[in-house]
Amino acid sequence: MKTIQFQIRRQDDPYSPPYWESFSIPFRKGHNVVSALMVIRENPVTREGRRVDPVAWEFNCMEEVCGACSMVINGLPRQACSTLVDNLDQPIRLEPLSKFPVIRDLMVDRSRIFTDLKRVRAWIEIDGAWNIHRGAPRVSPEAWKENYLYSRCMSCGCCMEVCPQYGEDQTFVGPATLAAVRLMNAHPTGSYHKTQRLHAIMAEGGLSDCGNAQNCVRVCPKQIPLTTAIGELGREVTLQMLRDLFGKSE
Amino acid sequence: MQTSIHNTHFLLRRLHSLLGLLPVGGFLIFHLWENSQSRFGPAHYNEQVVGWLQGLNYLTLLEIFVIALPLLLHAGYGLLILRSGHNEWRRNPWLHHRLYLLQRISGIAILLFLLFHVGWTRIWGIWEPAVKADLFGHMQSILSQPPIFLLYLLGLLLSLIHLCNGLWTMAISWGLTTSVQAQRRWFLFCIALFVLLSAMGLHGMLGFIL
Repeated sequence: MKTIQFQIRRQDDPYSPPYWESFSIPFRKGHNVVSALMVIRENPVTREGRRVDPVAWEFNCMEEVCGACSMVINGLPRQACSTLVDNLDQPIRLEPLSKFPVIRDLMVDRSRIFTDLKRVRAWIEIDGAWNIHRGAPRVSPEAWKENYLYSRCMSCGCCMEVCPQYGEDQTFVGPATLAAVRLMNAHPTGSYHKTQRLHAIMAEGGLSDCGNAQNCVRVCPKQIPLTTAIGELGREVTLQMLRDLFGKSE
Repeated sequence: MQTSIHNTHFLLRRLHSLLGLLPVGGFLIFHLWENSQSRFGPAHYNEQVVGWLQGLNYLTLLEIFVIALPLLLHAGYGLLILRSGHNEWRRNPWLHHRLYLLQRISGIAILLFLLFHVGWTRIWGIWEPAVKADLFGHMQSILSQPPIFLLYLLGLLLSLIHLCNGLWTMAISWGLTTSVQAQRRWFLFCIALFVLLSAMGLHGMLGFIL
């Protein structure tokens, strides 16, 4: 019988050592990695015939917009929901993202991304002591088109997974968080706090910790131009440094 | 509110980046251009090229503040930066990731090469007047030994890879190149510069022994 073979890196809890287990499911055309993991969960028996605890992993939207099912599939970080089994070499190796603490099996704790987004003020304040806007903010179609590319980020962590500067032992906030600064600064209301955001990424763990290895842009499942954001922010912080050193121009 | 200039992290990173180009990179290009004149023979090289340099006023100050100190600052802070990265050589086999690693490896290699290179020429010349008086003859006797010639060739190429790749990443860090197309064009320019400077350096090395 034709089968689909899996090798899955498992870990029972955050403190126990990882181990590998092999699974095999009957072949069916059109599986994605999530649907295949569901089949394994129905009958969690390894290839050696041992009944084990079902594999733990996260998934949510099933259409590559939520970022929950990020995992390392055959060596590359991808979304399990949009990765089609028919296109993969077998045995399919599934590993949790290595740059985040493992909770269990393929589940990781990506809450550091949220912490770093807060660190760089990646939000837009719409409430003030007075009416911030008279009418809706205006954005040119050209600027909107560029901003839209960055708005697709789902904080999945794939760019951080391949970044040699990102890790649990490092303070670097990673490409997606920097791109969020690019996006928020481009928004008419968000630009009110542009200087604060630029100062945040000029501190430890900010933009200058990028090593320009440019792996991020190659794995981003949403094709976000992360390295362009990094270059544009480079120009912004250069100008900000001049303003800080010599005073503002206006 | 904390601002960038109250945080030394950013300024030190930018200083490190700037020093790599000016004066360190600038000196490297000048150094290769000087030594490319070895082909005009011992008399011209010792009297016109080295003699002119040794006759400069405030030479020691220039050597300390334009060459030695910037180089040591760039190298010292570079060694600190090494700690902020992971070696993920086997993963992600893309060009710029390979260059990211090569930039770090070459940094250490250049430092070791310079200890040998500067020690055996400039530092030794302090105690040994013969080296200073006939630098051409000294270089000729060193470079005639194939292992040392290869070591110099390696030192030359690694230094130029470090300079040209540094120039490429610097353009992104400072915001000169932002779009993918601009970064690619600048990369082609950096490759061309690497080829040109390698040819100039090799020409200078061969001039001592041919």
